Formats: sequence, structure tokens, C-alpha cells
Amino acid sequence: MANKQTILVIEDEKNIGNYIETILLSNEYKVLRSMNGVTGLSLCTSHRPEVVLLDLGLPDIDGMEVLKRIREFSNLPVIVISARTQEREKVEALDGGADDYITKPFGAEELLARIRTALRHRLHAGRIQSQEPLYSRDGLVIDFERRLVTLQGNAIHLTQIEYKLVSLLARNAGKVLTYDFILKEIWGPYADTDNQILRVNMANIRRKLESNPAEPHFIFTEIGVGYRMLE
Amino acid sequence: MKEKEPMSKKALLVNILVTVSIFVIATLLAIAFFHYSVNSTSVAIIYILAVMLVARYTNGYVPGIVASFLGVICVNYVFTYPFMHLNFSIDGYPVTFVAMAVISGLTSMLTTQFKRQNEILNEQEKYLMEAEKETMRANLLRAVSHDLRTPLTGIIGMADTYLADSGWLAEEEKTYMVKSISEDANWLLNMVENLLSVTRIRVGETRVNTSPEPLEEVVSEAVQRLRKRLVQAKVRVQVPEEFLMVPMDAVLIEQVIINLLENAVYHSGSEQIDLYVTREEEAVAFHIRDYGKGIAPERLETIFDGGGTGGNQSGDSHRGMGIGLSICKTIVNAHEGTIWVRNWKQGAEFIFTLPLREDKGNGKQTDHFGH
Repeated sequence: MANKQTILVIEDEKNIGNYIETILLSNEYKVLRSMNGVTGLSLCTSHRPEVVLLDLGLPDIDGMEVLKRIREFSNLPVIVISARTQEREKVEALDGGADDYITKPFGAEELLARIRTALRHRLHAGRIQSQEPLYSRDGLVIDFERRLVTLQGNAIHLTQIEYKLVSLLARNAGKVLTYDFILKEIWGPYADTDNQILRVNMANIRRKLESNPAEPHFIFTEIGVGYRMLE
Repeated sequence: MKEKEPMSKKALLVNILVTVSIFVIATLLAIAFFHYSVNSTSVAIIYILAVMLVARYTNGYVPGIVASFLGVICVNYVFTYPFMHLNFSIDGYPVTFVAMAVISGLTSMLTTQFKRQNEILNEQEKYLMEAEKETMRANLLRAVSHDLRTPLTGIIGMADTYLADSGWLAEEEKTYMVKSISEDANWLLNMVENLLSVTRIRVGETRVNTSPEPLEEVVSEAVQRLRKRLVQAKVRVQVPEEFLMVPMDAVLIEQVIINLLENAVYHSGSEQIDLYVTREEEAVAFHIRDYGKGIAPERLETIFDGGGTGGNQSGDSHRGMGIGLSICKTIVNAHEGTIWVRNWKQGAEFIFTLPLREDKGNGKQTDHFGH
């Protein structure tokens, strides 16, 4: 039992903390808890957890500050817990180095999925990208080496940009990628910060991959934040 | 209101400046007139006009009264015999000058008074509007606390019963209770989100911040969020094939879609619900159609006004639909769209529209997640 993975929960709400702990314990994770940012940071350095769950509204220091300080010494995955309707906060956290976010209120399934994604991406030493040669879910196959996309065995024709977009999302499957991040990755650092072009391209991709663009199965929109591909 | 305050230096300066410049213009005009026809009556009238203007464009009674005296002196000094001398004693003059002083004094006072009254009226109107808004808010609050208390009572009651259980509750009873707790809690969550969205509107008065959003993304996210909460919901979704960007506050419009869908799930008794979007000439129309029992005809008119109906007739649920719908209306109106409902042979259809054109005033708005 020595190889249980450790998750540090920095959350000041006792009930929510208990709830998270219950879920994690029953799923074979080891849990460390902190009710404030300072203790959280010191637990982070002393115990080297595998994943950090960080609530942004802490009583002592701002959650964003905790995130910043963690990033000064470590690359470990940080999942931010945030309240809905604060897109700006989410985007700031993601662009500030958080790996993902989860919105209150969340279910057990959602939380576990986020943690699994974070752990999986951590295994790939590089920046964030998975090195698997294939993405294959529910009939959609992306072959990164041959640059081929097939849906139920039929080849899908994508433009250069569309392919880049899909493969970027697929390599980060399960993780939300912000508009800014995607724009920089695909169009380079000097790209216009206007995300219109990105959204038009996504609409085209949707028409090629999804059977009903209004009910996507593979690529999900998080309006105001970015896109997330089916894990 | 304002007369009690001592006049500030700036206001005084403005008053003096206005008075002086109007007088200079009047004097120039009068000289011109006098040059052509040596007639002091028209000159006097020009000065009376000047006095009126002074009263209109300055604050308080003082400038008007000062101006009327100034006018009389000017006429006497410049335009009547003996020129460039003050002399009120020549035959007939006293009557003329007193008349002029009275007329200009009265006009100035009347003008000032009129202005005051206008100001008071405006202020009252503003106050009334404020009060109306306040009543609306109070009504909403009352309706909300009523609507919140009902599910909370259920939650607390069931949780307490569950905790107090000493073995006499059957397993399925327990499951049922926890299920209802979760259902009620979810409903509460949506209510809280509704209230949050209202604050989002109130901050910026009745208008909202819009940015062009891809229609299909908004629709799909709304449906996704509804499904997360109401797993049993059977919703068919369809959007136009054409890619459309619609100016809106996406969070708010999602809230409208969710409210209408949730409403249909809870109240219509219909298994299937359709959500489809059509493109009209200058707008997009969102249709939420159910195949249930429809809306009682007497409620069709007032259904979006919230509260007022004293509980819903449907009887199948304690969840009122008043607040949700009135919030839908507020949001849609703030987007300059319209919302209405109609009955079909079977079921009801809620429709709301959003204008497609970008407003001139909002043209340069950056996305709310942008920089």
C-alpha cells in the first residue's frame, strides 16, 4: 500500500473538504488536507503530493498566490476548484499555470476524471503533451504519426489548421485548453488575441466530426474559457 | 433642493459670465437697432428678452433680478435722453422705467420658477422610477424566499428523518429520500444561479454586455449543463446548419435556455422536449417545445410576470416556475429580444428571439474573457 498516490486538498470549507476526502479515500488515494494557503504550501514542499486540489477563495492568502508560489518550485499538477460564473477567474488560473479546473458543485465522477487526467499528463515529462501515437475514442481515430483522422473507419479531410487544432486537443484529451493557449500554439505568439478565427475553425471541425453540432460528442465547449476533448 | 446650498465659486463665476455675455450681446443688438430707428421701446424689449435669457440660463433668482436692474439702468443711461447720463426724472420716464423693471423682474422670476418646477418634476420622476425598481426587487425577493423555503423544508425534513432512523426505514425508502434531497438541492442550485444572473444585469442597468458567440456552442453547453443535473431529461437539439455568431451574454442566455428546458421537464408532463433554433431575417429564434398538457389559457398572458399567480395549478410539483420565467424575460429584454409562449394542440412552445445585428454602441466590446 506504500505506492498510493497522494493528493493535497487545500480547501477552507470543512464540508466540501470532507466530501472530497471521502471520494478520494474510497478510490484508493492518500489525502492530505489544509484549511489555508500557508499550511497548504508547506505541506506541498514537505510531502510532495502527486496532485493538488486548490480552492481559490482561501482565508489567509489568495488562491492565485498559492498557485504562483507552487509554480516557483514545482511542475506538479494543480486542479483549481472554482465557483461558477467566474470565467475570468478560471482563465486566469489556467493561464497562470493551473492544469485544470473543476466547478462547484461537482460530482464524484467529474472530480475523479479530472484527477486521472492530471496524473496521466504528469507522467509525460514534457510540457503537457501525451506521446501516445494514437487517439482513439468511440470510433474517432487520430494517428499522430501519419497525420490521419478517421471516423468509423472513414477518412476525414481536415485543413492544415483544423488538423493542428484537433491533434492539439487530442494530445491533451480531458484537459481544458484556454483560447489564449490554443491561439498561441497554433497561430504563434504574435497571434491576434481575437478568438473569432479559432471559433470559426472549431465550428468547421464540429461539422466534420460531430453528427450533431449542437450535441457534440468529442469536443466540448466551455464558453468563456476554452475547449476540452473527450478523454 | 439647491437653493439652500451656498453658491459655489464656480457657479457664481458661470452666472456672472452668462449674465455679462448675454448683456453684451443685447447691448450690441440694441445699439444696432437704435442706430436705424431711434426708438427706445424696441430697445427695452431687447433688454427684457435678455433678462429672460439670463434667468433661463443661470441658477437662482439673483442673476435675473440683478439683470432686470442692469437692463433698466442700461436703457436709461445709453438709449434715452440725456444720453450717457442717468436721469429718471424727465416726464413720463419714471412710468416707463418702473414698468420695465417690473416686467423684467417678473419674467425673470417666472422663468426661474418654471425651471425650478421642471427640476422638481424630473427629480420626482426619477424617484418614482427608483421606487418602482425597489418594489420589483422586493417582490422578487419575497417570491424567492418563498420558493427557496419550500425545497429547503423538504431537504431538512428528509435529512433529519434519515438521521433519526433507527432501522425502521426500508432501503428503498432511504434511497428515495436521498434522491429527493439531491433533486431539491439541484433545483435550489439553479435558483441561485438565476439570482446571480439577475445581479449580472442589475450592475449594468438594463443593458447587458454582449459579445458575438457561436450559437451552437451556447446551445450545446446549456444542454450539457442541464443533462448533468437532470439526467432523465430527454431533449432533442437542433441548430441551423449555417455557422452563426449571435451577440449576447452567453452565461445569461444559457440560463434562459436551461430555465425553459427545466420548466418543460418539471411542469409539462411531456417525455420528449425539443429545442431548436431557427434563423429569422434579423434575429435568431429559440424554440422550446414540449408535448405535455400545455399552459392554462388564463396564464398565457401573465406567465412571464412572475409570482402573482398564487402557486401553480399543475399540482404535480412544489416548484414554482414564476421566478425562472420572469428572469428569462428580464434577460431576453435586456438583449432587446422578445419572449412569448403559445399552446399547440398538444403541449406548449416557448419562443425567444435575439437580434442578430451588433448594436452600434456595443460594436467595440471585447469578449468578456478577453483582454
